Amino acid sequence: MILTYLANIGRYVPELLAVLTMIGLLFVDSTYDNEDKKKPMVYATAIIGLLSVLIALLFNWGDEPVAIFTGAMIVDPFSILMKIIIVLGTLGAIYLSSQSREIYWYLKSEFSIIAVGVMIGGMILVSANNFLMLYIGIETLSVLSYVLANFKKDDELSSEAGLKYVLYGGMASGVMLFGMSHIFGVLGTIQFSNVSVALASLSNTEIAILLPSFLMFFAGIGYKIAAVPFHMWSPDVYEGSPTPVTAFFSIVPKVAGIAVLMRVSLVFFGETGSTLQVGWVGLLSVVGALTMTLGNVSAINQRSVKRMLAYSSISHAGMMLMGILVLNEVGISAVLFYSIVYLFMTLVAFYIVTFVTDQYQNDHFERFSGLVYKHPLMAISMAIVMFSLAGIPPLSGFVAKFNILIALINDAHYTLAVIAVLNSVAALYYYLKIVRLMILKDSESSEPVSLFGFVNQSVIVAMVIPVLFFGIFWSKIISTTSNSILLVIQ
Amino acid sequence: MSGSSSLLNWILWMPIIGAIGVLLIPKMKEEMVRYWSLINTSITFLLSILLYMRFDTTVAGMQAPFNVKIPWIEHFNIYYSLGVDGISLPMILLTGALFVICVLCSWTVKKAVKAYFALFLFLQSTIFGVFMALDFFLFYVYWEVMLIPMFFLIGVWGGEQKEYAAVKFFLYTFFGSILMLVGMIGLYFASANVPEIGVNTFDILALHGGYFSEMTVGLFGMELSFSKLFFIFMFIGFAIKVPIFPFHTWLPHAHVQAPTAISVILAGVLLKMGTYGFLRIAFPIFPEASVYFANMIAWLGLINIIYGALCAMAQTDVKRLIAYSSVSHMGFVMVGLAAMTVQGMNGAVLQMFNHGTSTAMLFLLIGILYERSHHRWIVRPDGTKGFGGLYTQLPKFSVVFVIAMFASMGLPGLSGFISEALIFLGIYQKFTTITVLALIGLLLGAAYLLWMFKRMFFGEVLEECKTYSDMNAREIAYMVPLCIAVIFFGIIPAPLLNIMKASVGNLVSLMSNF
Repeated sequence: MILTYLANIGRYVPELLAVLTMIGLLFVDSTYDNEDKKKPMVYATAIIGLLSVLIALLFNWGDEPVAIFTGAMIVDPFSILMKIIIVLGTLGAIYLSSQSREIYWYLKSEFSIIAVGVMIGGMILVSANNFLMLYIGIETLSVLSYVLANFKKDDELSSEAGLKYVLYGGMASGVMLFGMSHIFGVLGTIQFSNVSVALASLSNTEIAILLPSFLMFFAGIGYKIAAVPFHMWSPDVYEGSPTPVTAFFSIVPKVAGIAVLMRVSLVFFGETGSTLQVGWVGLLSVVGALTMTLGNVSAINQRSVKRMLAYSSISHAGMMLMGILVLNEVGISAVLFYSIVYLFMTLVAFYIVTFVTDQYQNDHFERFSGLVYKHPLMAISMAIVMFSLAGIPPLSGFVAKFNILIALINDAHYTLAVIAVLNSVAALYYYLKIVRLMILKDSESSEPVSLFGFVNQSVIVAMVIPVLFFGIFWSKIISTTSNSILLVIQ
Repeated sequence: MSGSSSLLNWILWMPIIGAIGVLLIPKMKEEMVRYWSLINTSITFLLSILLYMRFDTTVAGMQAPFNVKIPWIEHFNIYYSLGVDGISLPMILLTGALFVICVLCSWTVKKAVKAYFALFLFLQSTIFGVFMALDFFLFYVYWEVMLIPMFFLIGVWGGEQKEYAAVKFFLYTFFGSILMLVGMIGLYFASANVPEIGVNTFDILALHGGYFSEMTVGLFGMELSFSKLFFIFMFIGFAIKVPIFPFHTWLPHAHVQAPTAISVILAGVLLKMGTYGFLRIAFPIFPEASVYFANMIAWLGLINIIYGALCAMAQTDVKRLIAYSSVSHMGFVMVGLAAMTVQGMNGAVLQMFNHGTSTAMLFLLIGILYERSHHRWIVRPDGTKGFGGLYTQLPKFSVVFVIAMFASMGLPGLSGFISEALIFLGIYQKFTTITVLALIGLLLGAAYLLWMFKRMFFGEVLEECKTYSDMNAREIAYMVPLCIAVIFFGIIPAPLLNIMKASVGNLVSLMSNF
């Protein structure tokens, strides 16, 4: 028993390293008195720690997918790839926080510590294979996120964001917990693999009891990925939080939520033809279509770029739901591809928005006007990312959209495919708005954005390269994602 | 010769090499940027002439020696696949020629010269890509990428309402093509169910032949015919580009606001991408749906002819007038295509080329005039004349204008006549009513052009018109080749007709089976 446990540890090194990183950060933070000395040490620890997590994940890559800790967690290529995305997203957010002026200097080390904590929650979540682990993961992720939302303590909007997040979040996880205990009550198990077996042998009355419980369970996850109608919190929280936090929120919790939803959907409802499966796919279709549409329509009229990006990230989550509801390998591959691309696009967009916002103290669209005359490289990067988010070839956003459509049409969901593509026209409208301001308008002032130093520009360009590269040379990526097995144990 | 196999690649990538070169030239050396672009487009044009010389007019399908086929995304069976046949070659030649001329006409661009020429050359490459691609995915990529340089070229270097025009153009055409994307992926999955194809493929040529008539597809709870639904999807995409009424509303804005060279490219080449899409994709892939909708397309084409002409007649802005005349002329192409007869189709493809040259001339001339007058009013909003007596003031200009105008009108001896005559020959066999009504359109065409000419070139010489200088050497240099082309192909259309004959005949015989 103990030996099997110890043997499992080998597959669990990335998570352990992440925990060590967090402890190390706490240690460094409390050791130094002098802020000037502390800062570089904290960032060095964070970056070294996260890179080692990344390396450990890459070492696990290619191993046989297994269930570890008596089936509580699963390590498969799907979860490893998702974890890589989560770690990269965290790394990006931490670097951004180090540059941003919105994160007060005395809170910078706190940000890193908490971000790594959220990341650990996300890593647990994408590997979770029973309800308990899922709940632990989602709560680790959520509770620490509440703190992050509240980071600008003296700022009214930030406090509002934090409070909203806590209230909504507490409510959602309560409902989810209730749904999960209901499922446990009927099926007598919390293990995902047993759930699917138990589901197969249910009578119709029992299924009728389970339907609302699954709905409640879905509410919890839907809240995390901000799916309509559980999205209300998201624009306010995104707008109120400091921009690096917003960047972090729109990547890590979202990707983790999508990953866990993917796993749960496939494990529970992978069997074709059951009543529950039809219901679940129907639910995801309606929610997904609404999420895409509402996100896009609401984004059109925003004045704040941050809020616009918040709504656009809602619609992207809707797009990823499309890849989940087909419940097959094509869908998994599409969602993985989408997540990878989404990571880079979102990071670049938020980096540029953060730096511009810091300069002018607000994030209205007009602050971007004439950016091309001041910082041509940055304006072009932003334009590339906006076009990519809108799904224009030959950028990677298009390929991601193409893969989702492939998954949908492969499964003959033509209606959803048409809704999805019509949405991208609406999306193009608001993404164009910012491109138009940056490149077609003259600038308000000649004052350059001071945070666009050489290093920051290089970092941004380095993140734009994958956005361009994966749009044309995506042969390797697609064969990687399509070989990323999601382990289903029956 | 081994060079043939890479010729298409050279033509396609030469402008990209040019664009990179432009970006590497120091910012101060604007003159160097211009000359470099001129040299680059000239080389591209010479390469397309070389393509013409090596072209075998007896072969109906794709010309095997030129084909390029390299695996791109093996996972989805996507290829980087290029080819040329008798339908695409005239378009490639036209693109090659017009871009050289447009570089000369863009000599006067002052704002951000480097960016302008880089985007301009990039645009050329994407247009070549559309006309050469034989893989649907590749075609789609080029079809969409083209919007990006176009958006900036209209939006940055355009007229007063450039932003509105650029955004409208972008959104409209994006909307059109996005449904095509669904159709394209639908075809990809349907192709595996066709015994003759057997695999999921984006290969346009493999999809040709009308295999999809029996399939159905569920959309919004309805069971629809696969081929009819997706024909409509493709139709919307191509119709917006052509543009066919009622999808034409982006065109007047984009044309009027775009800088001269971009208007020329828009009218001369971009609109042809729409009709080319019908010829390459919509018709041969869904022949039975095309035959089913042929009547509707012909009537829409007729509306284009009449409506475009009437709108043109009402315009007081001369550039807008020419823009609407394009709507009218593209109507002839659509009617000719819808007839699906040998003469009609040949006439339509020839009209695509001829309209490209004659409208390009008109837009260039208006650009030349605008550089002198800084306005384009035939009649100003306050009711006074904008121009008057230009004929006595600008003799050279007027002679060229007359040639362009008569070519556009379809006067015998000039290029427009041959193609319109062929179209009428072709459509008379199928739609008698439409033929008669379309003839009225021809009459209206003569009316608005002559009326415009009368108001601008004859009558009393306005005081401000006396200050205008006649065409300079550079302007003459790029107008003369077009004049020669218009006259030459008006008298001897055989070189062009020979190229397209075999390929068009092939398409017509495919369509006649349905």
